[in-house]
Amino acid sequence: MKFLVFLLLAGLAFAGEADVNVLARPHDLWEVIYKIWLVIAVVIYIVVAVPSLYFMIKYRFKPNEREVGDQEHEGHWGLEALWTIVPLIIVLYLATHGFALFTQMRKPPENAMELKVTAFAWGWMFQYPNGKMVIAQAIKDTEDKKCKPDECYSVDGVFQNYAYIPAGVPIKAVLTSQDVIHSFYVQPAGVTQDMVPGRTTYTWFQINKPGEYWVFCREYCGQWHSRMFAKLKVVPKEEFEKWLKGEVASLEDKAFKIVKNNRAQEVVR
Amino acid sequence: MREALPAHKPWFAASIWEWIFTTDHKKIGIMYGVTSTLFFIVGGLMALGMRLELFNPGAQYVKPETYNWFLTVHGTVILLWWAIGIWASFANFLIPLMIGARDVAFPRLNALGYWMFFAASVIALLTFIPGNQIMTMWTGYPPLASTEGIGFAGQTALFVFIWHLTGFASIAGAVNFITTVIMMRQPGIGFFNLNLFIHGIMAANVIQLLGVPSVAGAVTMLFLDTYLKTSFFDPSRGGDPVLYQNLFWFYSHPAVYVMVLPGFGIISEVVSAFARKPIFGYRSMAIAIWAIALVGFMVWTHHMFVSGIPDWVKILMSYTTLLIAVPTGIKIFNWVATLYRAAILYKTPMLYALGAIFMFLIGGLTGIPLGIPAFDVAVHDSYFVVGHFHYVLGMAVTLAAFAGFFYWWPKVTGKMYSEGLGKVSFWLVMLGSNVLYFAQLIVGIWGMPRRYYDYPPIESWIELHHLQTYGAFVLAFGILLALVSLIKGAISGEKAPDNPWMSNSLEWRLPSPPPPHNFDEPPKVEEDYCPHGYCKF
Repeated sequence: MKFLVFLLLAGLAFAGEADVNVLARPHDLWEVIYKIWLVIAVVIYIVVAVPSLYFMIKYRFKPNEREVGDQEHEGHWGLEALWTIVPLIIVLYLATHGFALFTQMRKPPENAMELKVTAFAWGWMFQYPNGKMVIAQAIKDTEDKKCKPDECYSVDGVFQNYAYIPAGVPIKAVLTSQDVIHSFYVQPAGVTQDMVPGRTTYTWFQINKPGEYWVFCREYCGQWHSRMFAKLKVVPKEEFEKWLKGEVASLEDKAFKIVKNNRAQEVVR
Repeated sequence: MREALPAHKPWFAASIWEWIFTTDHKKIGIMYGVTSTLFFIVGGLMALGMRLELFNPGAQYVKPETYNWFLTVHGTVILLWWAIGIWASFANFLIPLMIGARDVAFPRLNALGYWMFFAASVIALLTFIPGNQIMTMWTGYPPLASTEGIGFAGQTALFVFIWHLTGFASIAGAVNFITTVIMMRQPGIGFFNLNLFIHGIMAANVIQLLGVPSVAGAVTMLFLDTYLKTSFFDPSRGGDPVLYQNLFWFYSHPAVYVMVLPGFGIISEVVSAFARKPIFGYRSMAIAIWAIALVGFMVWTHHMFVSGIPDWVKILMSYTTLLIAVPTGIKIFNWVATLYRAAILYKTPMLYALGAIFMFLIGGLTGIPLGIPAFDVAVHDSYFVVGHFHYVLGMAVTLAAFAGFFYWWPKVTGKMYSEGLGKVSFWLVMLGSNVLYFAQLIVGIWGMPRRYYDYPPIESWIELHHLQTYGAFVLAFGILLALVSLIKGAISGEKAPDNPWMSNSLEWRLPSPPPPHNFDEPPKVEEDYCPHGYCKF
């Protein structure tokens, strides 16, 4: 019952405007099923582990006292029916609740901004609704670049590897790939979607709190799979609009310098 | 020829030529076992190499291509040689003894199967030559595996041949075991008093027979795409890479039941023998095994929840996937119920079997959310998945296999293993593996993607990777001690009695070690024979 109320509340929050207490959507929907699963898993673990530990201690082999188990204890239809039907109910409930949440997770809101993302080995090209493009790429070539961890995963690397996203705006990412299968995982939003060449897939997410967030590739795509990452820089909507229209080249001095040094990875169409 | 040997000689007394040209199921079983265990050690050492590399973020000891080769060979070898191959060893040695037969139905086909497996082993070793490395991952998804120049996937041909040869060995084994069990049982052994281990092996081999052709077709098309430029999976010429994933997982998901069902069988054998009472709910245990095998063929797209397949397929397969939890739950509850009013003797095989149940419990409980697409999209291809399948396949299968090693060691070698070392090894394995794999589950929930050579310096991730590496070394030391305990026992252990565990099953009525021809005369099976009862004599 509590879960149903929780689901209802989640549904109401979904209908309203961006809630800053909710970091990202659909991550909050994921948390619903995560918590339900965690409770059920811990309960089942206890239900199995406590009696078996008790039996293991109590029914030890003892010379001259307990050398043989109860030979007549061979089965019990009632008990076996019990632990067939109860798990059946639990999994049917979990699958159905998951079904309801998944339907919500897959349906982008009407007002979503469409962001076209194309993957390549090893990076992403982001294309905004007005045609503006940003290429996020972490490594330049395939040679073994011995770098200190901070350098390998900093946004001041060889290439620009970040993209701006407005805060509190649902974003429908339309995904495809140029070469091999990659994937698009937005960490705070908790969404993963493969990017398959010759196919268009989609996912949607909304991050409410401005900040820097990770995007990773999660489908093995060859040698530098592990360096295929980008940073999503989530900025307030007004600032994002300014940047999108080209009124400012960058939203931070440091980042502007990098873009200039690398002969402008941003192409304005 | 074999009849001419003196009957008092143990089965392993033979010259090297007799070993090579043998069609004796016991010798072939041991050859499978030795090959599988050697590759288990190779795969384990590669895993240690990966754990060292991931100890800290950044490039440390190996190049990314070496790391990716480790990943590929670790996955392929542990799955095909260890988790599937080791059961061919147990099945070969034990099935004829358990059903009272002198050999399997097709001894020559059996030998051919082993030598195909051996040929696959040679191919796997060829990938150790620089320039021959395979970096396709054990899944070999196109277009990565079928395109040269992008992504550096290495020698796809070797990957394909490994699948073909191990697949041939699997099918030869499956035909053989299924025929043997159906045709060569002693009168009195029927479907509902067969050893549960044989039920596990039979279900696994039915899966092999139905599933392997699918993956063989998939990798054949992959080969044609790569070298003859056909376009089954090439999207630029009208192919579809997702087709490969469907064909591949149609076999490779049921394959996880090929790996785990014989393990369930061994757990049942060991638990009932050391609890000194019949297994609880034998009938539902046997039916559960077959139900898992059946439903297992209807769940494969849960590996593809994010690959761009239609949403309704995901929902459908979500229900069937979660349905698997019901028969597996029955098995776990029945094992627990077997312990009730038992007289549990804590020897090493029992410890390993109980450990396998607990590890499988965690693996099963973490597998349930992965079958729910709403949960899976956040953790797909993350370390959560890695932790999950190392609990079920890595640990439940390995612990069950070691339970089997310790349990049947007296029968196979005629000597007892070293009990003290065995028990220490069990506790080390449990400690190390739980630290290692539980840390993987947590770092996965926090978002760490899998198959990463390097990861960003996020504090909490680094700590968990440190823990994993420590756990991995404790686990490896435990496995080493277990092997030492077994080998030391075979060399200098005390002589084993015929039936050290007082099991009622047929193989324990033979001398230890069994004579070359197994049974002097067909064994008489009493009317109320039950392999999982306590031995009354």
